[in-house]
Amino acid sequence: MKIQHTLNVERREKTGSRYAKRYRDAGKLPAVLYGHGKAPVSLLLNAKRATKFFHLGEKLFNIALESEGTEQAVFLKDVQFDYLGDTIVHVDLTRVDMDEEIESNVHLVLFGEAAGAKGGGIVQKQMDALPVKCAVKDLPDEIRVDISKVDEDNPLHAGDIELPAGVELTIDDNETIVTITFAVETGIEGEAEEIGAEGTEPEVISEKKDKDEEKGEKDDD
Amino acid sequence: MPRMPKRVKFRKEFRRTRDRKATKGNFVAYGEFGLQALEGCWLTARQIEAGRIACQHYLKRQGKIFIRVFPDKPVSKKPLEQRMGKGKAEVEYWAARVKPGTMLYELAGVPEDTAKRALVRVAMKMPVRTRFVGRRLAV
Repeated sequence: MKIQHTLNVERREKTGSRYAKRYRDAGKLPAVLYGHGKAPVSLLLNAKRATKFFHLGEKLFNIALESEGTEQAVFLKDVQFDYLGDTIVHVDLTRVDMDEEIESNVHLVLFGEAAGAKGGGIVQKQMDALPVKCAVKDLPDEIRVDISKVDEDNPLHAGDIELPAGVELTIDDNETIVTITFAVETGIEGEAEEIGAEGTEPEVISEKKDKDEEKGEKDDD
Repeated sequence: MPRMPKRVKFRKEFRRTRDRKATKGNFVAYGEFGLQALEGCWLTARQIEAGRIACQHYLKRQGKIFIRVFPDKPVSKKPLEQRMGKGKAEVEYWAARVKPGTMLYELAGVPEDTAKRALVRVAMKMPVRTRFVGRRLAV
């Protein structure tokens, strides 16, 4: 991953949710910059421009801030969304050097037709992004995995994935990444047996406890 | 057959307030596409089941459905022409608390257009406005 763009930032003087809302209404995106043992700085980004880059999958940027002296490379560490998941309301940026080792999630892209899917199986991705550890300069944009050999008895594990040089996974090699499942052979009405017959009531724990206590008292007498 | 809990701590519960936005369970977590509620409601077990049947009927064993809400709230109702008082009524149905933003259903293993058509059918069974969504940006 290379730095392609510079983010225009300005220092955020007033912090707190009330001011953050006002900044958002004015087309700004509240952010915080931290890392490398320096004091955290509250920032404002251009919401439209920054959001466009984030949605394109870019995570590395340059920012020019007076307190940082020259241009500083920053890494997109976290993103907060509104309750509908549409709008980015805040981002965390961290100071990085290009040779520094970081942990991040890289988007997983599957290609090829799975052997198990030919017989009506459903390809199920257990993870949408893979957690990796590598130097900033080695961070891939995405990890592409061929699933043509994956079938029901032979799921894709983390250890089976071929990673670019310098990149290692932070999860266990036995972690399942892609599985093939088949739809359960039940009728459209389905699940009746699982849930129980109509009219049944749930067991009430507190009533059972009371009865047990009463029984205990009687036994004592 | 409507869903309900197997064991509960108390038979009946208070109604409680509904006016909050969803802060959890509000993004596609298991599947690739989802149906998100835009309004709050008490989604009854029957409505959840109706949605599931509508979806499964359209997909005909393709893909996998994830139901993200569970009806764990007992709702009681007095019989018609009953005078007020005499204690809280018996449980009439079970409902899931749905807040604006809650993900109701998710689908995996189907193309986007098929998922959209299936979830439109589910949306018709829902008592609130909903929308079709995909996975959001992961960092």
